[in-house]
Amino acid sequence: MRNNILLVLALALAFGFKASAQSFLENSQVSGSFQTDAQYYRLDKGIDITDLNGKKLGLNGFGKINYTNGNFSAGMRFEAFLPELNGFRPELNGVGLANFYANYDNGFIGVTVGDVYDQFGSGLVFRTYEEWSLGMDNSLRGVRTVIRPTQGVTLKGVYGRQRYYWAPYSNDLDAKNYRGIVRGIDGEWDLNQSIPAMNDAELKVSMGGSFVSKMQDTTVVNNLFYRIPVNVGAAAGRINLAYGRFAFATEYAYKINDPSAINNFIYKNGQALMSSLSYSQKGLGVVLQVKRTDNMSFKSNFTGMENDHDINFLPPINYTHTHSLPSMYTYSTQPNGEMAAQFQVNYTIPKGTWLGGRYGTKLAFNMSQVNDIVRDSIMVNGQMVLNKKGTLGYASNFFAVSDHRFFRDINFEIDKKISKDWHVTAQYINLYYDIETIEGHAGAPVVEANIGFLDVTYKINKRQSLRFELQGLWEKEVKKGYAYDESEKKDYQKRGDWAFGLLEYTITPHWSFSIADKWNYGNPVPEFRDHYFTGTVSYIHDATRIMLSGGRQSEGVVCVGGVCRTVPASSGVTLTISTSF
Amino acid sequence: MKKLFSIFTLSVMMMLMMGCDKIDINNTNKPYTYFGEGKTVLIKDFTGVRCVNCPAAAEVAHELQHQLGEDRVFILSVHAGFLATAMGQFPDFKTPEGDEWYGNNSANPLFSVDHVALTEGNTLNESQLDTPLSEALAEDQTFELFIVNNYDEATRELRVETDVTATSDYLGQLYLTVCLVEDSIVGRQVVPGGVDTAYVFRNVFRGTLNGADGESFANGSVYVNDEFAKNYTATLNEGYNADQCYILTYVADKSKGGKILQTAMEKIK
Repeated sequence: MRNNILLVLALALAFGFKASAQSFLENSQVSGSFQTDAQYYRLDKGIDITDLNGKKLGLNGFGKINYTNGNFSAGMRFEAFLPELNGFRPELNGVGLANFYANYDNGFIGVTVGDVYDQFGSGLVFRTYEEWSLGMDNSLRGVRTVIRPTQGVTLKGVYGRQRYYWAPYSNDLDAKNYRGIVRGIDGEWDLNQSIPAMNDAELKVSMGGSFVSKMQDTTVVNNLFYRIPVNVGAAAGRINLAYGRFAFATEYAYKINDPSAINNFIYKNGQALMSSLSYSQKGLGVVLQVKRTDNMSFKSNFTGMENDHDINFLPPINYTHTHSLPSMYTYSTQPNGEMAAQFQVNYTIPKGTWLGGRYGTKLAFNMSQVNDIVRDSIMVNGQMVLNKKGTLGYASNFFAVSDHRFFRDINFEIDKKISKDWHVTAQYINLYYDIETIEGHAGAPVVEANIGFLDVTYKINKRQSLRFELQGLWEKEVKKGYAYDESEKKDYQKRGDWAFGLLEYTITPHWSFSIADKWNYGNPVPEFRDHYFTGTVSYIHDATRIMLSGGRQSEGVVCVGGVCRTVPASSGVTLTISTSF
Repeated sequence: MKKLFSIFTLSVMMMLMMGCDKIDINNTNKPYTYFGEGKTVLIKDFTGVRCVNCPAAAEVAHELQHQLGEDRVFILSVHAGFLATAMGQFPDFKTPEGDEWYGNNSANPLFSVDHVALTEGNTLNESQLDTPLSEALAEDQTFELFIVNNYDEATRELRVETDVTATSDYLGQLYLTVCLVEDSIVGRQVVPGGVDTAYVFRNVFRGTLNGADGESFANGSVYVNDEFAKNYTATLNEGYNADQCYILTYVADKSKGGKILQTAMEKIK
């Protein structure tokens, strides 16, 4: 670690050498942000928290500082998990300099050393990113180079080893902490910028391609049963077209044999295809997206499970709900295979019409569905087998859709400013959620629910406003009186009907007060029909926000971009302080 | 510019060539490697004569055992749970010790790797066996086990002499469990599509000679080369085929939830 810091400082000095002391100070810009999330936990028999296991306080915090001077920039992020908040991975427990980098970019060439974040295309073969709310950081410690040899052409290269919580980056490790070296190249060509004749053409065209490979020393991480490839490569090609009000983008990715814990050690090649077609004009937007993934989990450690060691990113194509009950059942990407489609229409009824009123009315319709891919048995040594370890696993017709539906969300939203004082948003959602596949509750019945909310804001005067939310979730099958198996009772922790109410009072620009209750009144298990009260006070001063909340938090999942973590039920007080400069 | 593109193209070519290893799909399994002395591992297969999925699961466990070496991985087929309850002409292999190990579980097949206690989270299905097996085999050996069986065919009396030697210093609550195992019993088993009337039951657990938890032989520190000898006697049931009977012993640490540290097996004849 110390050597790495010295290296970055040395490079920083080398890059900055040309700048005189005067200009160094004059042109410097420093920016940063800090955040602390602390939670005090208490016993709460009402929601079955009878033992804290000695953990009364959890704290997640970071401080990020970036320095920029002309073509040079450098930065670092310090993190503390003392210990980590409930629901975050225990491997995060610790404190230290999690991330640092130095970058020089003069427009022709850019070099970054240290911890690298980047994405090739839509991320199907490579994406490193940090998501604080998930406790996720798969940055690459190494080098990133960008070359722009001519207008419209960008060539990139990355080389390094991924972050795995606080595990050292050296090669001399036990198998659990080990991960391979990731190297990748990407090229992108914007034809409209490159070719003078196309500069002003209505047809916009850009295309790109990537190749990423991981090299995992299988003498360090040994598998007793199977021959594991040391080098695994994945390639992708993409094209973006835009003509007038239409836009089309597609990317196809392919990965060679990559037996791993997550794909049950099968040797089948992976594939992914993502396409989107959109139309937009003033007041109207239409988007259709389709996606097919098959065995496309790509990790720098073949033993990795969940979201650990991810080299690539499989983007979800589902609506992102932000309200409490609609976001209770959020879809988590299934890396072993999906057939997904999403259709979205946004329309604004113009101002001055009967339905549009004085301010116009925004309507949105969204439908997304994800099914499994079709997997057919294959012949191995004279026997038909399906997904057997050490084989090609299965055969799959590229265009076939399985009857096994993972998820469906049909929703309709109206967003209406009624007068200068009243604003209303209402949404209806019809949800199908295969909780057995998505959350791993074996044998649990599918969640089929109708969900609705009403979000109303009333502006009392220039400084004060009131906002209230009413939400309801009604399951079709699992509700009061549902005959559940007593031995699987814990799988019904959050099932059945819910009601939610919130009242928020805001005094701009500083204060906000809210109370809320989330009530699982229709849970089939009587002892799970709990109230989750919360009260929150927040204070904002410029870029600083201090928030104190107390009460109960229900069990659930937090998902960002289809990547999820489970949040256990808790009770206590939470303090969040964040600031930026 | 041309040079730059040449360098980039060369990089792409190099990466394509070096970045992928294609494995021959007909040669994905690693051959069995003899490790000599070392840590041994016990798989307990909680099975039942009326469990339709159990024969296939047992096959997976035996494939793994064959691949890793029958001198390193041992399987104990423990008939326990509702689907192990004998009905009609199905054989009854249930034992009180097996029921105790099985505890409150309600499904078959279930497996444990080197764990005596079947607490929540310790049971596995057949597709989850390989990772804990790899981890267990990678552990350092802490004890050596020796078994000497003396069997009198006339009286069917069996005397088992066991010897446990510490191969490193160790701190724990140590127990030795001695099990009787009968292999290759032919009987009725539910299989997909019906009943196999001549199913061959492998490594059937017939009971212990010293209780479900075994017998304590050390509580606290033991030091390298410490030796513990335990002897047991039993009379072999008339219905058991002595030619197919084995003694399987294991050392477990109760302070680690009953984790098994070493296992050994020896034919009684």
